[in-house]
Amino acid sequence: MRLRRTMLYLPGNNPNMLLRGHLFAPDGLILDLEDAVAVREKDAARILIRDVLKRGEFGSCEVTVRINGLDTEYWRKDIETLVPLGRLDGVRAPKVDDAATVKQLDEALSEIEEKAGLEVGKTKIFCLLETARGIFNTYDIATASPRVTAVIPGGEDLTADLRTNRSPEGTELEGIRKSVIVAARAAGVDALDTVFPRITDDEGLKRETEFIKQLGFDGKSVIHPNQIPIIHEVFTPTEKEIERARKIVAAAKEAAERGLGAVQVDGRMVDAPVVKRALFTLTRAGLLEEGTDNA
Amino acid sequence: MPKNILGREIPEFIEGYGKTLPFMGEHARKPEGNRAGPKLRAAFSDRTSKVVPDLKAAIAASGLKSGMTVSFHHHLRNGDFVVNAVIDACAEMGIRDLTLFPTALFGVHKKLIEHIKSGVIRRIMGSVNGPIGQMVSEGGMDVPVVLRSHGGRPRAVVSGDVKIDVAFVAAPTADAYGNLCGSQGKSACGSLGYAFTDAMYADCVVAVTDNLVPFPAAPVSIPQIYADIVAVMESIGDPAGIVSGTTRITRDPLRLLISKYASRLIEASPYFKEGISFQTGAGGISLAVTAFMKEAMKKRGVRGSFGLGGITGYFVDLLKEGYVEKLMDVQSFDLEAVKSIAENPNHIEISADWYANPWNAGTAVNMLDVVILGATEMDRDFNVNVNTEADGALLHGIGGHQDTAAGAKLTIISQPLLRGRIPCVVDQVYSVTTPGEVVDALVTEYGVTINPRRKDLIDACQAAGNVPLVSMDELVARAHEMCGPTDPVETENRIIGVIEWRDGTVIDVVKQLKKK
Amino acid sequence: MKTAQAGTVESMDCLVTVSETDPGTGIALTLAGASVARFSKAMDKAVRETLGQLEIKDLTITVQDNGALDLVLKARVEAAVTRLKGGDEA
Repeated sequence: MRLRRTMLYLPGNNPNMLLRGHLFAPDGLILDLEDAVAVREKDAARILIRDVLKRGEFGSCEVTVRINGLDTEYWRKDIETLVPLGRLDGVRAPKVDDAATVKQLDEALSEIEEKAGLEVGKTKIFCLLETARGIFNTYDIATASPRVTAVIPGGEDLTADLRTNRSPEGTELEGIRKSVIVAARAAGVDALDTVFPRITDDEGLKRETEFIKQLGFDGKSVIHPNQIPIIHEVFTPTEKEIERARKIVAAAKEAAERGLGAVQVDGRMVDAPVVKRALFTLTRAGLLEEGTDNA
Repeated sequence: MPKNILGREIPEFIEGYGKTLPFMGEHARKPEGNRAGPKLRAAFSDRTSKVVPDLKAAIAASGLKSGMTVSFHHHLRNGDFVVNAVIDACAEMGIRDLTLFPTALFGVHKKLIEHIKSGVIRRIMGSVNGPIGQMVSEGGMDVPVVLRSHGGRPRAVVSGDVKIDVAFVAAPTADAYGNLCGSQGKSACGSLGYAFTDAMYADCVVAVTDNLVPFPAAPVSIPQIYADIVAVMESIGDPAGIVSGTTRITRDPLRLLISKYASRLIEASPYFKEGISFQTGAGGISLAVTAFMKEAMKKRGVRGSFGLGGITGYFVDLLKEGYVEKLMDVQSFDLEAVKSIAENPNHIEISADWYANPWNAGTAVNMLDVVILGATEMDRDFNVNVNTEADGALLHGIGGHQDTAAGAKLTIISQPLLRGRIPCVVDQVYSVTTPGEVVDALVTEYGVTINPRRKDLIDACQAAGNVPLVSMDELVARAHEMCGPTDPVETENRIIGVIEWRDGTVIDVVKQLKKK
Repeated sequence: MKTAQAGTVESMDCLVTVSETDPGTGIALTLAGASVARFSKAMDKAVRETLGQLEIKDLTITVQDNGALDLVLKARVEAAVTRLKGGDEA
């Protein structure tokens, strides 16, 4: 299970951030060719990102590119240039409104992967849901291709489409976040929250992160490196949570060794999903190797 | 050519400097003989005011002649009017061939270039920054500049290596009989730490003030027994350049990252315990380290004993909130520090001699646990260069770098690995300011690099588990890979700068840049 | 005379300006900015290598550097030349 507590946007035409972003140790990087790059700089940014990907130094971050929308003339060139390098873990597609958009991207990716001799399906898709239609179709979008690994509700664009705007309390996004989490879980993909735009409001970011964590989100997109430690802190399990998770995992192991089906912790029966959750807690605490999932 | 212990070629004799003593190690040179002293003088009750009408009258009364040595302190920093005004007056009075002996120079002093060109100033002993540094590096002075640390300078004075003929002491407040104070007046600068030794050892002391108060002034930093003459100027400085406003902690993510690693190193070290003392300075990274340390101190219930050096409002807050018991202030950087030193008895004014001179009965840096310093370059042997820039030009003074590094139990250099394309780690530094034997760790955005002789620190960091360690070899290799090969600095043979270790031995020399 | 630019003068970037010249005039390269004092040879090499790969023989090219690594310098040269040739819209 890959941690996606934080995925940091890096402006695609900014060498400083593209080369240094991984140093801030977010769980993932989003090399941005879309909104962070002016129309007349798309070409230069694509070349720059291509060469940064070739260099390939991103620490242990999951590496993705936010491509231009499938309603633009740029997206195909974006993936044709960058996917064959084999360094990308995924692409983040903006303004995904329906399953058809995902299928179109899926087919294009397959063609490119095949041509480049890469494993077909290697490139995951992260879907940005930035319209009411997109939100409405979340489950269909998330199940439109096995490549889809996460859905992310949009912020500004989405609230505009809803004919409202973003407030500090996030009232307008509350229902959306709840529906996205249900659809994501039903589809078996991650739910990642939108960015927190006020980069100097550390307290506000902490509150919002606590809220979306409680809803069940796996993480959040990040627009400034200083937001990373704050979010990681919220997602890091407490000593008490770790202690309990350790007990559960130990009990499960013991039960398995003794050939027992049922697991008991502190006199209470614990079932398989709870054990899985406990393993995940230890992963988040950095106490298990990432990807360990043997429940 | 003879080499010092670091392998740097040091001629036995340098034109305009004299016979050299090569650097042979941190404590290799021992002092001999007695302290030097100023001329004896007497003042009697028939003269109860030392005030003269203006600077020229003061210069005339001081007996200053061509070829003599004049000293200044830098507490008015980039707001200073005094250095330029005194040298202007000397020029108008036909005085030439002066040796300028400032504790530091700032951008505001670039006006001195014309006096260097015209021969009013023949030689500078002290840091040469910005445009003057550039000019000196290109061969603009006939005599090499001599760079000394904040402790090396008073050592040179008390040992008699440098004889000050006239010390001009800018004083934000003075009375007519020469009691001086730095924390009051419209040009208040707080501590007058760098002026003490000059006042005590110069043959003549001229106080220059823009705030003459009735006798006796109080509080007193430098007492009347040292000042011979009091000159009044309309204004000794521009307050905006003297003290900065509130110093904010950086939001720059790269600097914050480095600060976080540095504070983890400190927290992992054996010095992070009740009574810790530290010096962090006013730089962006340093201040952020202090902020992270405060958090850690709070979390672990640790209280510090004292903060040292240049003091900012941030340190004043630490004092008020009880995170440190005392502040020892040689230089007050901002308004909060100026206010605090005037009001709080636990905020102590100390002289440069007290702060850092290796040749007295015990200096403040010796009591220091941790210091955070910067660098322009560091090499595989942990030798540090703070004096020359990547292009080989002399652009920065030593400050307290050598002294605090030598004194502190944990000396940390914090610096981004890359400034643009220029790496901070190299195979060999262009010039050495501080030897690797007194440097313990380098902190960059890639992690913490510990001097291999500090095996204990490496173990402590490994035990802590949250300090990313990276070896010097790895860091140098990374710098090579990212930046590519460097072109050598092309120089003439002539030496334009002599860098002294704090004990007066020569740690390195700087050569004139070849014209491009 | 046709001219094109790519890059910025932001930290760790460079602004590359290229103009067409008559065939046979060769590459006229001017380097300026932060890294030139210690990296002019490496920068010169990076620019010429990139032009070679792009099969450009005649060009006037100016680099205003603010600390770009070779990788960035090369990407900016390629972008500027591609724009100059105009064959490749965004």
